[in-house]
This record gives sequence, C-alpha cells and structure tokens, in this order.
Amino acid sequence: MPSPSGGGDVRRAPGASDRTVRVIQWAMAGLAVLFIGGIITWITHLIRTAWRLGDVPSASIGISLVAIPVFLTLLGVILYVFVGLLGDRSER
Amino acid sequence: MADRADTRDAVLLAPIELTGRGFYLTVGLLSLLILWGAIAYWTQFDEGLGVTGLHQPVSWGFYVTNFVFFIGISHAGTLISAILRLSKAEWRRPITRMAEVITVMVLFIGAGQILVDLGRPDRMLNIIRYGRYQSPLLWDATSISAYLTASIVYLYIPMIPDIAILRDRVGKRKLLYTVLALGWQGTEHQQKVLNRAIAIMAVLVIPIAVSVHSVVSFVFSMTLQPMWHSTIFGPYFVVGAIFSGIAALIVAMVAFRKAYGLHGYLKPIHFRYLGQLLLVMALLWFYFTFAEYLTGYYGAEPEEMKVFQAKFSGPFWPFFWGMVLTNLIIPILCLVRLGRRTIGKVLIASLSVTVGMWLERFIIVVPTLSNPRLPFGEGIYWPTWVEWGELAGSFALFALFYVLFTKLFPVISIWEIREGREVGLKEVEERLLTYLPDTAEPRHAEPERGW
Amino acid sequence: MARWGMVIDLDRCTGCQACVIACKAENNVPAVGAKEAVRGRIISWMQVLTEVEDHDHPGEQMRFVPRPCLQCDDPPCTKVCPVYATYRNPEGIVAQIYARCIGCRFCMAACPYNAKYFNWHRYQKEGPGQNPDVSVRPKGVVEKCTFCHHRLQHARERALAEGREVAPGEYVPACAEACPARAIIFGDLSDPGSEVSRLAQSRRAFRLLEELGTKPKVIYLTEGEGRG
Repeated sequence: MPSPSGGGDVRRAPGASDRTVRVIQWAMAGLAVLFIGGIITWITHLIRTAWRLGDVPSASIGISLVAIPVFLTLLGVILYVFVGLLGDRSER
Repeated sequence: MADRADTRDAVLLAPIELTGRGFYLTVGLLSLLILWGAIAYWTQFDEGLGVTGLHQPVSWGFYVTNFVFFIGISHAGTLISAILRLSKAEWRRPITRMAEVITVMVLFIGAGQILVDLGRPDRMLNIIRYGRYQSPLLWDATSISAYLTASIVYLYIPMIPDIAILRDRVGKRKLLYTVLALGWQGTEHQQKVLNRAIAIMAVLVIPIAVSVHSVVSFVFSMTLQPMWHSTIFGPYFVVGAIFSGIAALIVAMVAFRKAYGLHGYLKPIHFRYLGQLLLVMALLWFYFTFAEYLTGYYGAEPEEMKVFQAKFSGPFWPFFWGMVLTNLIIPILCLVRLGRRTIGKVLIASLSVTVGMWLERFIIVVPTLSNPRLPFGEGIYWPTWVEWGELAGSFALFALFYVLFTKLFPVISIWEIREGREVGLKEVEERLLTYLPDTAEPRHAEPERGW
Repeated sequence: MARWGMVIDLDRCTGCQACVIACKAENNVPAVGAKEAVRGRIISWMQVLTEVEDHDHPGEQMRFVPRPCLQCDDPPCTKVCPVYATYRNPEGIVAQIYARCIGCRFCMAACPYNAKYFNWHRYQKEGPGQNPDVSVRPKGVVEKCTFCHHRLQHARERALAEGREVAPGEYVPACAEACPARAIIFGDLSDPGSEVSRLAQSRRAFRLLEELGTKPKVIYLTEGEGRG
C-alpha cells in the first residue's frame, strides 16, 4: 500500500508541543466517552422515570434495548480508532 | 512518485491554502441571509410564535416541513456514501466526502428546526429531564443523536489520512491538523485499523440512517389524523429522503466543481451515474406516492377524502401539482437521455427535486392539519416574513457551514483518489477476473475451507 | 374512585353560547382581540361547533355541538407529549401542566377534536377581575379544558373539613352550571345511580368520533325526541 501521507518527512520537532498534542488527542477520546456515556445515562434516566410513574416503561425498555448497543458500538469504533492510531505511534 | 502525485492533486489543496474574493463575497451574501433569519428568530423569541402564520388548526407549518426536509437531505451523505463504499463502486472516490459533509452539516440545521418551532425554547432541556419514550419526538431525539454521532465519526475517520497530508504540507493551522491527524503515518497497522473502522461504520450507518427518517415519519403516522395515519409512511419517507439527498449532493457537486475548478475530478460520468440513480429514485418515489394516494382515494373515507380533495383540487393544488411536476415530470424529462450536456440536465433535475421534495413535505404536513375532522373552522396557512426568514437563514447557514468546511479540509478525499490510481485499478481488474468463468486453470469445485 | 363525565343533550342545546362565556370567565381564558381572531387564534375551551345538516339549503337546519375537551380515557394527545406536560390523572381528567409544556404542539396535532389551544402571544397578564383559582397561562404553552378541576379541589377541601365525602352535585364545571336549557349534565360515571350514568346508557347516547377508540367521557344525546 502506498503511504497516503506522502513521504517520510514527518519527523518534526518533538518536545513540549508534542505532549500538548497527545494530551488534546486523548482528551478528544475522553470527550467521546463522556458524550456517549451521557447519552446512555440519559436513556437509563428515562427508563427509571417511566418505571416510577408507570408511564409505559415497555416503550422505554424496548427502545433502549436497540439504542444503547448502537451507541456502545459507536463508542467502540471511536476508541478502536484512537487506540489503534495513537497506540501505533507510541510503539515507534 | 509521491511528488508527482502531490502536484497532480494540488488543486484539491488550493482552496485551503488560498482564499479568493469569491469566498468573501459568498460568505458576505450568506451572512446577510443568516442575519435575516436571526432577526426573524429574535422577533419570534421576543413576541411568541404569533408572529408566524401558524394558527388553530394549522399548528405546524414551515418549521416542521423544514425539519422533515433537512433531515431528509441528510440521507445524502452517509447513506449514499456507505452504499457506494460497500458495493465497491469505484466512481465513488471523489464523491463520498462531499456527501458525508452534507449529512453532518444539515443534521445540525434539521435538528435546529425543532428548537425554532418550540413555543418555549427556554424549556428545551425539559426533553432531557422529563422526556418520555412513548412520544415519537423522543424517538427522533434518540435516533438523530445516534445518526449525528455516527455521521461525524464516518466523516472524520476517512479524513484522517487527508488531515495528515494537510499537517505535512500546509503551513497554516499546524496544531489543529496535528491533533486531528491522530499521529497518522500510514503504517500498515494504521491502515488496517482505518480500513476496518471505515468498513464497520459503513455497515452501521445504514440502519441508523433508515431509522432516522422512519421515526421522523412516525411523528405523523402515529397520530390518528387522516392521511397521516399510514403504514407506508416509514419507507415512503426514507425513499423521499434518499431522493432529495441525491439531489442535494448533485447541486453541491456542481457548485464546488465550478467554484474550485474540480473539473478533472468530477467528470460527466459521475453526474451521469448519479443522474441515473436520481431517476430510479424519482420512479420509486412516484410509486410510493401513487400507492399512498390511490389507497386513500379508493377507500374514500370521508375524512381522508377531505384532505385528498384539498390537495388534489382544493386550496393546496398548486403545491400538489407543483410537486408532481418537479419531482417526477421534470426529472424524467431531464434524465432519460443523458448523452449530451449531462451536467446541465442533471443539475436542473436536482434543483427541481430539491424544490419538489420540500413541497412534498409541506403537502404532507399542512393539509391534514387544515382539514380537521369536526366542523371546526378550516384554516389556510400563509407564512409570514418570519418563516421565510427562517427558511432562508437555514439554507444560508447550511451553505456557510459547508463553505467553511471546505476552507479547512479538502472537499475531495485526496488519499482515496490516490488509492484509486495506485491500488484500485489493479484491484478492479483482479475482481473482474473473479467474476468471469475460469479458463486458464480449471479448479475443482471443492467447497471452501471454513464453510 | 370517581370517573368524572359529562352528558350533553343536543335536543336541549339552543346554541346560545352561555357555556362558552361561562367557561371563559371561569378559567381566565384570554380574549385574543379581533386581529388575532381573524387569524384563527381564538382560544375557547368550550366551543359550540355548528354543523349544517342539509347542504342544499344551508341555514335551514343547523346542529349545535358544544365541544369541551372530551377527556378521553385513551387520549391521543397524552401519548405523544414528549415531557409529560399533558397526562390523564387517576380520575380520568386530562390535565395540562403549563409550567412543564415546551410548546411543541404535538398534542394539538394529535387531538382529533381540536380541543387544545396554543398561546401564540402573551395574551394577558395577571390582573383584577380574574379567577384567582386558575393560573394565567404564559405565552408559548398549550392549554385546554380541565373540567374546571379547581372546583373539584374546592369541593374536596370543603368535604374534608366537614369530614365527609364529596356529595353528588357539589362539583360541577362552569359550563354545566351556566347552561340555561340544562343541556349539560355533569357527574360521576362510576356511580350507576348518578344522572350522567343513567343518561349515558340512553339509546340516544353517542360519542364524537367513537370509531377512533379514544373513549371520550363526554357523551352526547342525539336529537331524537323532537324528530320521531
């Protein structure tokens, strides 16, 4: 496979800025976890409310049975990309 | 070799490196329209929804129409690009990115329409605190947030190698590109991770996209109202969404082809293929519309017929027949023969479909409300400058988001074009050979291992 | 537990609109003004619908159908509310929480009877001359007939203070009270001895759009006696 980045001239000046970059990158991954975690917490909150009020909890449970795995899969893909790409560089 | 490729695709980086007068002119024009929308929204926020043309019984109008329309457009992207990727359509390469950007940008606009429509936007967070899943609006909220997340990821992941190119070649915004490139070096492992992630997302995004416009249709079909309470609304809306999505994609392609001089990348053949897809969708859309309206007409329930008449020959006839004209007749006339002046014809068809699908959403939302079952005052709906402002502002905001995106990231996937040149050509030949009957070395028809 | 219901005898209704006015005064229903009225924004929890029976000779035969909220037992409006701002309370009254409503108007779109109304502007402020028992609605929320629920609360408080149950006839909405022809009868549908229960069993009884399965607790009696 060709190198899509267009050559090996990418060893730039390391140092403090390199660290900042890594911190921001992992913060992005953390943000994704927080975001999707937040959505899942929200869905659970809706189930709890519906259960407490006796307000058609079956609808909440039915929908969350589909929604939560979908969001978890999305999170899985995001983390796979972050770990897969960033982890590879740290091995070098 | 890398250098040669670099100069070849320099035109794709040009919009990011250089900014001309056209850009500022476009942004200025769009900002004016957005200002109109902002003033309209401020007026509405201040004085209440009374400044619109809404009333009893037409309590939903432009905003809900826009919501359905924009969410429909969002199917351009992700769905089309996912289908093209999965079916290994090689001509997809210069198109996928543009389609995916449409999805992400338009989803923000579409979801925003609901907020514009609320009588109490200050209580928006009640949906999160007190939401209840029996309401189809919550299905929308869940489905659209899944779609938004998925389409952002699906836009971002295939963009990583391009961001790495930007990081290495463009002098500007070094930190942004370095962060977003996620340390991409194009190693074998990284490529494996990337390709696998793209493949998973392409599969995942299709059911999510289908679910989005299905639940948007459920907002209407779950009620008991005449011509809303229909079982085919889910698929009917999805078909319409893909239809309008392709049209919007073509319009965007023509615009950027001209603005950024991408003639070498977006060739007539791409427009021809998309035009044919548009034609197929026009026929499919017509089939659904026909089935929907014939069922209502044949059953002839009085309440259904009242709405049917209002659309067919009543006060809404210009919209109904306008929809038939722009969604079926013009596209067919433009698209059956695409031999010459392909791009012009496809563009006309697409603009026509964009208008037509908006009319279709309007003709679904309003006539049902304006013909209540009980002998209640029937209402004709006339939007005011506020609704027109929101409509113009929404389109302009979408266009502005899109234009700004193209100033930050390449609008055509550079690495996928390169991959097409360097790997795709050979792969296609090999793949083609596997389709054909083996002649050179007859193999025994033994079952494959692991099956 | 009581199941509050209403019977409206169309044979007795004269279309005088006394119920409409009584309702507006009782529930602080705003007068929206002529300009807004022309635009179709009248708020009228109780509304007298007129039906022309003979389309060839309009005006010759009219049918008046007073329509409050029908307080469905299976209300299409409460199902679609995204925030629990409208719900059916245990006694069967469909309530609206103005402080919760986000103004999405989904319930208005879902109600087949058009019994829900929206505050397109801020139509009134709190002031003298209003019923202090009923809150004034802000702009941007949906409102509806509540069977004068505040009157039930009053009746209940009185009964509680005197250590007894709420007596039949102690709780009556303003429209029923005001009707000069006694066309609107109100009471407890779960009490088989009550007048509403008896009338609801009448052969003349029907419900609006019964075929939708919303199970309204407002029951109409057709014009029958005068027509043979």
